[in-house]
Amino acid sequence: MPKRGRLGVPFSVIVGASLVLLALFVVSFLAGPVGRSIFGDLGLPSWLGVPRPDPRLPADTVFHLFGFPVTNSIIATWLTIIVLVGVSYAVAHRIRLIPGRLQSLLEFALGWLLNFCQEVAGEKNGRRFFPVVTTIFLFVIMNAWLSLLPGFGSILVTGAEGKAVHLLRGANTDINTPLALALISFVFVEYFGIRSLGLFHYLSKFVNVGQFSRGAGQLFRGKFRAGISGLFTGIIDIFVGFLETLSELVRIVSFTFRLFGNMTAGEILLLIAAFLVPWVLALPFYGLELLVGFVQALIFGGLTLVFFTIAVMSHKAETA
Amino acid sequence: MKKWGMALRVTGVGFYVGGSIVLGVFAGLWLDSKLNTAPILVIVGLLLGLVVAFYGVWKMLAPFIGKERDKESI
Repeated sequence: MPKRGRLGVPFSVIVGASLVLLALFVVSFLAGPVGRSIFGDLGLPSWLGVPRPDPRLPADTVFHLFGFPVTNSIIATWLTIIVLVGVSYAVAHRIRLIPGRLQSLLEFALGWLLNFCQEVAGEKNGRRFFPVVTTIFLFVIMNAWLSLLPGFGSILVTGAEGKAVHLLRGANTDINTPLALALISFVFVEYFGIRSLGLFHYLSKFVNVGQFSRGAGQLFRGKFRAGISGLFTGIIDIFVGFLETLSELVRIVSFTFRLFGNMTAGEILLLIAAFLVPWVLALPFYGLELLVGFVQALIFGGLTLVFFTIAVMSHKAETA
Repeated sequence: MKKWGMALRVTGVGFYVGGSIVLGVFAGLWLDSKLNTAPILVIVGLLLGLVVAFYGVWKMLAPFIGKERDKESI
């Protein structure tokens, strides 16, 4: 006889769980600050509520290592690296022809990312860019998803200054981590550009004096009209090169603030939701944060990929 | 470039515009406080940021505008 219900769960369990959730929601709503301000104090126990959050932008120092401050966001970075390396090692160590669950998941993710790289950058370049883009993508997504686990922002330890600080904090909510990622992306853009086009061809995008010197040469040879128009175009070329240089720097800033802003806003949103109506209201926002983590990882990795692709294109092919 | 590349280019536009203007203004403010030239360098920074923003957006969106117009404008 087939089971009645949804996804193999009987209806009675679904109804029961919904009722419990609803009851929890009503009670926590009445106990939280929103309910209190509407209905007044109903004498509910204070442990139903959540203490008022005090989100701080700079990360807290937990301890010092060789004179360097180790913040809670660095510990979260290490945790992310350990998880990524551990999972990769566990899968790569005993790779099988018929994959198990973990291997299937990793094969699916990496296959999808490789496909993504090759679709944007082409067959050969996609393969070249794949390791960098995938590392950035996996780091950002793992970081965002790990920081949704219990323990992040709830385990308290005594910090370096003797105050109680959180042991773990999402690494990308500290502006230094997104900045480091943006700098890595920037360095690799220049590296791939120079490797593909040669140093001088690549730099001619930023310092473009060819037209200017041609115009000056024509002026010396007595061709005044051609020389002056050549000089004028040359000045425009130099200015465009200057703008290219600046836009390269702006890219670092926009990469940094996009990731930092989205991650920090997500964390604060969760804290505030959990504070206003404790327990149940934060649940949908956790779902939202899963999506935001994925989207931010995709944007960070994908935009890096797009800039790699632009950097290896010849300047003539780029404007055509 | 295929649809993913196109989509990603558009995603980058928003923060790029904000970033270039903010960077220009803050660089101007910082230089003004160092060199005591307020408010000249803030204005220069703002204008430079705006120019970089427009230039970058134009570069990012050039593939959408069509090849013929693209060739003529540079």
